[in-house]
Amino acid sequence: MTTWHRPGLAEALEPCRPVPPAKPNILKTLLAVQTVLGHVPTSAIPQIAQVLGLTDAQVAGVLSYYSDIRTRSPSRHLIRVCMGESCTANHGGRVLRAIQDHVRVAVGDTTPEGRFTVEKMSCAGNCAVSPTVMIDEDVCGRVTPSGVPSLLEPYT
Amino acid sequence: MKTTRLYLSNDTSSRAAGAGRLADAWSERPEIQLIRTSPRGAFFLEPMVERDTPNGREAWFNVVPDDLPRIVGGMGGTPVAGIPFLKQQTRFTFANFGTTEPLALDEYQTRGGLKGLEAARSLSPEAIVEELRISRLRGRGGAAFPVWKKWQVAQQTGSEQKYVVANADEGDAGTYCDRMIMEGDPFRLIEGMLICAQAIGATRGYIYCRYEYPAAAQTMRFAIQKAREADLLDFDDYPFDLEVVVGAGSYVCGEETALLESLEGRRGVVLAKPPYPAESGLYGKPTIVSNVLTFATIPNILTSGGAWHASLGTEGSRGTMAIQLGGRVKQPGLVEIPFGLTLREVLDRFGGGMAPGSRFKAVQVGGPLGSLFPESHLDISICYDTFAQAGAILGHGGIVVYDDETNMVELARHFMAFTADESCGKCTPCRVGSVRGREILERIQSGQGTAEDLILLSDLGETMKTASLCALGGRAPYPVETAIEHFGDEFRSKLSAFNLKQ
Ligand SMILES: Cc1cc2nc3c(=O)[nH]c(=O)nc-3n(C[C@H](O)[C@H](O)[C@H](O)COP(=O)(O)O)c2cc1C
Ligand code: SF4
Ligand code: FES
Repeated sequence: MTTWHRPGLAEALEPCRPVPPAKPNILKTLLAVQTVLGHVPTSAIPQIAQVLGLTDAQVAGVLSYYSDIRTRSPSRHLIRVCMGESCTANHGGRVLRAIQDHVRVAVGDTTPEGRFTVEKMSCAGNCAVSPTVMIDEDVCGRVTPSGVPSLLEPYT
Repeated sequence: MKTTRLYLSNDTSSRAAGAGRLADAWSERPEIQLIRTSPRGAFFLEPMVERDTPNGREAWFNVVPDDLPRIVGGMGGTPVAGIPFLKQQTRFTFANFGTTEPLALDEYQTRGGLKGLEAARSLSPEAIVEELRISRLRGRGGAAFPVWKKWQVAQQTGSEQKYVVANADEGDAGTYCDRMIMEGDPFRLIEGMLICAQAIGATRGYIYCRYEYPAAAQTMRFAIQKAREADLLDFDDYPFDLEVVVGAGSYVCGEETALLESLEGRRGVVLAKPPYPAESGLYGKPTIVSNVLTFATIPNILTSGGAWHASLGTEGSRGTMAIQLGGRVKQPGLVEIPFGLTLREVLDRFGGGMAPGSRFKAVQVGGPLGSLFPESHLDISICYDTFAQAGAILGHGGIVVYDDETNMVELARHFMAFTADESCGKCTPCRVGSVRGREILERIQSGQGTAEDLILLSDLGETMKTASLCALGGRAPYPVETAIEHFGDEFRSKLSAFNLKQ
């Protein structure tokens, strides 16, 4: 069998190799891979399973469970619009629509040139200055629909 | 040149409100020295800039970069001690907020930090648990279980290895006090966890922090490093270590057994109890899982005594409550007060009424599984027992106000969809029930629902309440049912039979 090796994958996996008596930690390993590659491609499952001494199914089961572990290669910027209760109460739905109109993409999809992916999230803990939009790791508060274009402009 | 020392919060929400922009704009200004502190919690005033005066701190609110000359000139500031939102609070757990630099261990100590740990180290494990029993502290994560009982079980269960885990998953939308503690007063969480470790004999601790809180996780890592360098983590007879572990976006991972599964790297599904984690938790060892706010409350209890804590609040709810105001209120922010005010009093005194241009419709207390209250039900006192009697919960202390533009049918659908998305799938009432519930509400929303659908929804709710394994399925019907109870006309007017008659 030929395994297609992604640059960085082996290096990302090495610190996760379990040293007995420590048990393998699948979630931690997947997050470590995501930190290096930006996502966890399903094609990497066999290699991850091998390093951890587990079956492919065990790894795949954890990979599919957690919504913040991505299997697709990320766009340059991830826009997450909060749909938690405080943001919903502050009409964050209107912000989401304004963002979709502005970048012309459906929730869950990526713009053709790979600049933005738009997702919903459930709460950023920024409820006191909601509605909230998270762009990559930047938390933006009191976002208004009309403020969307200038908010997104710096993210090229 | 004389430099003026200015204080600006570095909290995520302060930055989201514009504090970061101020710091960038003023980074090259020689006339000021900018100190980045924790926030006051009065987020509606952010970005807020403070400076020292002979009479204490003065503050400028909703500051923009061009305000700098005014601030440096000392013009138009408000004494912080006179801000009504803050003045009417009783700050104990959040006493340092707005004053200290989060990672300055010496400042933490100057302001009374580590005294609780010191007291604990001179006590026997049994005496620490006894102090907590006297304090009558109940867990702040949602279930409100007496803290001392869990600790006693973990203490009395023999094991070479025990664990202490801070639940920093803070999944309830509308809550942010755990995030504030981790970003703003991280040593208080560490101190609380160390006291717990001392009491039960734990050798290792974890802080399970949600993925959405990168700044909190980073601050905690730095703080742990500083605590380690200051030899705080060394117990007399054995080593202790603390680690931050980041989750990956699942609401149910905040449930303690699911959290421990996730900590071991597996799918975060709920396990049946017993065994309780205090007997058999992480890797099968005795484990205390407590909320961040619970741990952060403990240092003051050891410093000032359990009786001091028990003297605050109401009969069944001792101490203070960290209320997190959000939604369409005029003054969203953190409010620490003893239990016992009514919901109306909190909304009036601290919320300051509605955001400009909006009218009150309902308030939800206790996160996405909490009940809705209309205007006529606001005179309920905020404590565990009165809420339990009303079939409601305080949860983690989130209070979200909705205005009259809120569509209750859509909101109810949103709640059920949330449960359907987040259900761990372990038990049928929740896994299947939440999907059915969502479908029924979608049907009603699209005008295709019938009167029978409302009955179906109510039956479904009964099954979910009584037969679900954990509170996600068990509480999910409450926000929906309280929406129907108080705003039934909105639902009935959408039913197809009603439309036909028109
Ligand atoms: C679905 C669900 C989600 C929960 N989420 C959290 C959470 O995000 N944070 C938390 O501290 N407790 C959460 N809990 C409660 C925990 O199971 C547990 O009771 C709590 O961490 C114990 O800490 P405490 O005694 O300090 O409250 C959740 C419970 C359920 C059923
Ligand atoms: S109630 Fe829902 S979340 Fe809780 S155990 Fe059952 S399926 Fe899982
Ligand atoms: S509800 Fe949106 S940040 Fe909390």
